[in-house]
Amino acid sequence: MSRHKRLSAISLILSTAMSLCMYGQAANAATSHRIISLSPSATEDLFAIGAGPAVIAVDQLSNYPANAPVSKLDAFTPNVEAIAAYKPDLVVLNSGATKAESVKSALTKLKIKVYYESAPTDLQGAYKEITEIGALAGRGAQAQKLVRSMQAAIKKTISSARKKTPINFYHELDDTLYSITSDTFIGKVYKDFNLVNVADAAAKADSYGYPQLTSEYVVQSNPTIIFLSDAQYGASESTVSARPGWSGIKAVTSRHIISLPDDIPSRWGPRLVDFYAFVAKSIAGLN
Amino acid sequence: MQKIRSERKADGLGEIWNWKITASCALFLLFVSILAISFGPIHLGFGDIVKTLLGMKGLHGQERTVLLDLRLPRMILAALVGAALSTSGAVYQTVFRNPLADPYLLGAASGAGLGATIAITNSGGNIYGLLPIFSFLGATLAVMTSFFISGRFFAEPNTLLLSGIAVGSFATAIQTYLQQRHSNALRPVYNWILGELTVANWSIVSWSSMYILSAITILISVSKKLDGLLLSDEESFSLGIDPNRLRLLAVGAATLATATAVSASGLIGFVGIVVPHLVRGVTRRVTNRSLTTIALAGAGFLVLADLGARSILSPAELPIGVITAFVGAPFFLFVLRTRRMSHS
Repeated sequence: MSRHKRLSAISLILSTAMSLCMYGQAANAATSHRIISLSPSATEDLFAIGAGPAVIAVDQLSNYPANAPVSKLDAFTPNVEAIAAYKPDLVVLNSGATKAESVKSALTKLKIKVYYESAPTDLQGAYKEITEIGALAGRGAQAQKLVRSMQAAIKKTISSARKKTPINFYHELDDTLYSITSDTFIGKVYKDFNLVNVADAAAKADSYGYPQLTSEYVVQSNPTIIFLSDAQYGASESTVSARPGWSGIKAVTSRHIISLPDDIPSRWGPRLVDFYAFVAKSIAGLN
Repeated sequence: MQKIRSERKADGLGEIWNWKITASCALFLLFVSILAISFGPIHLGFGDIVKTLLGMKGLHGQERTVLLDLRLPRMILAALVGAALSTSGAVYQTVFRNPLADPYLLGAASGAGLGATIAITNSGGNIYGLLPIFSFLGATLAVMTSFFISGRFFAEPNTLLLSGIAVGSFATAIQTYLQQRHSNALRPVYNWILGELTVANWSIVSWSSMYILSAITILISVSKKLDGLLLSDEESFSLGIDPNRLRLLAVGAATLATATAVSASGLIGFVGIVVPHLVRGVTRRVTNRSLTTIALAGAGFLVLADLGARSILSPAELPIGVITAFVGAPFFLFVLRTRRMSHS
């Protein structure tokens, strides 16, 4: 455990040092004043570090904060010409977008700077993105401050809510029983609370950590708590309890079926703090 | 001869190959091409566009890049892909004597899909560089496998057709398995299957034009002989045609065009069926001498569909396959119905 802490401390120092260098570079280079964010997480980052006024347009799915300038731009199928029409000087582009590499090179050809964002796989990755975006937006110091406050808040939440004895949980993506393993970002969050993921046994089924489980397996693994990220698509405590064979599952009998909020669990930005707090609250009464 | 001609004219059908229809298809292509490069989220003056294209001083800076590096290659690629798919569709329909045949019949689509999925799931980051090569190889290998399984070349077109279906299902099974194992690939694979011309660039245009144009040239050069395949094999032999060799050449060239189109733009459906039937419906001729017309009409149709794909939901993109089927299917039914009514 202490080795783990030491490692994370070293990586934190390294990432801070790197971002300081980045900040130094960015301070010399031109700071971006016309930013387009095609990533809901990056939008939240930009507004949290006070770069909101420089954001001229965000994609359709960037629903937070409420004053973000939502446009019709699509993050998944970006249209280069439509982006260029805004005359931005920085575009945050997600690497999961359609033909992301080609979009990136086309934007570069139009002399528009691109921050190429890949979905982070852990907290360090999320912090790294905040500091890098902060440096590009000329708000490196604010980004550092945000990261430090997030680290402190998350650490506090974990230390007060972490379970002494491991607890089984099942996280549901949809009603065909797709789940997540502990290799994913969200899986690591649960792990921080000493929760044991029943889907980990099926980790080999999908190399990116999103396996599909069988109903029989979920029943047999008998999770103590169930998290539903498909609540927005109609899954609820009653639909889950009504599934054939599920009535005996511990989470069902003790009524620990939690509907997750729609967006927070998939935003790798400042509201991660809220997600940690949500999980902490959900597991509070469990033994 | 003179008598036959005058009879045809009286019939209202004219010559076998009606140059007027070809010319109007060429004009249609020209017209939609101009439309396609004129419209987009960034306003470019029409006069400036013409000047820039003619090499005079017109647009500059970012606007010039938008025209020359975004709109122009995309329009040309749409035209090439449209020509490739519709010509190969027409040839497949002739070779298999089946009006429902399309360029994806012999497993080209599923093979290309498998190739693309392999590239997307196993690339370690750089998927776009390898994807066209993989889908091209997938398509050609699938067609070759279909040939191999069906036995000696083309003893019986239906056997080939069935083995094409089997090979296609097999490739789809592997593709679905891979997709299931790599959840992050779902979205890119799905987008690819729907077809997309989103970011065409000059390098794609240059290599695909090489293959597509040579394949179309081969097909047009044998177009007269292809008509012989519409008859029975004995009859075509008596006309001095070796049906097996001709079929091999025709399917080979059509597959080259299709595989190239697919690897450049994904699976764009329906063009290969709709356009040949439309042209044949309008000219009231099943002859393959209309291949040039079919190629031009297919090019125009896809340029127009792509304009719709990037305008309807602008600034978001709509998959072009959605447009081709949404517009193509009802229009096609309309033509089928009017043709049947005029026959009866």
